[in-house]
Amino acid sequence: MDKKPSVWSSNRFWRRSATWVTGVSAVLLIFLTMDSMSQMTMGTAKDIENKVAKRIPSPVVINYKIDYQLNRKRGHEVPIIGGMDANGNSKYEEKEKFFGRDDYSEKEASELIHKGKLTIQAKNCMDCHTLLGNGAYYAPDLTKAWLDPTWNTLAAAYGGKEYAIAAFLQNPPAMAMHERKMPNLGITKDEAKAVVAYLKFMAAIDTNGFPRNFGKIKGAVDARK
Amino acid sequence: MFEPCTDVVCSFWSILNQGPMTLTITLHTLIVLPMVWIYFDEKKKMERGDIPQE
Repeated sequence: MDKKPSVWSSNRFWRRSATWVTGVSAVLLIFLTMDSMSQMTMGTAKDIENKVAKRIPSPVVINYKIDYQLNRKRGHEVPIIGGMDANGNSKYEEKEKFFGRDDYSEKEASELIHKGKLTIQAKNCMDCHTLLGNGAYYAPDLTKAWLDPTWNTLAAAYGGKEYAIAAFLQNPPAMAMHERKMPNLGITKDEAKAVVAYLKFMAAIDTNGFPRNFGKIKGAVDARK
Repeated sequence: MFEPCTDVVCSFWSILNQGPMTLTITLHTLIVLPMVWIYFDEKKKMERGDIPQE
């Protein structure tokens, strides 16, 4: 009988291996968490001024035109803020009036978006909708709702798409455009403006192409008609 | 061939992640190679009889 000991049946070998894998994985996860934190940190007005791309741009992004274009290298649509340069990156130049203004300061824009967030929470939008993928699947995902081509068709009648969205939010049944009608949640004029600011800001977040196939909606972007 | 930054915000991982192969090589270097070393280390100790019977 062969008495040669086998490493594979040794407890010590498996214990050392398991300790090593667990230790390395723990360190790796800490590093990856730090990496995610840097990706999730909100940009500042200075970043936009200096044309530094951030996944979550500063709230002052509501002063700019937001578009969504196919990036061939990344293989999905990416937000284009303030016009696109020859390399397919944001130029941060082209402004767009938001409720008649395109000079919101970082503080003003931040407060507006915060109020929008509080309204979205208070009115329980996520009972039906999803935001950045979180919520219920009864009504459309709102991540890129600002870019929905429906608002462009209504923009002329309301003097701008932000006014059209705000009018819809204040009395959705009156502007119902789907079988599943959104109820009137008693959103005030100020709250509606804040919610629209939040939606515009959210459309500028680089979500790695989420929601998938949004770019295929005809007219939503120029990319995939 | 070598991109300085492959993610929206530059970081250590965005430099490392040039494609799936770079991450695979890194993880193998970090995890699998040391395990191969552990295997031969244990084998050597066993053959020398350094390990008490459990």
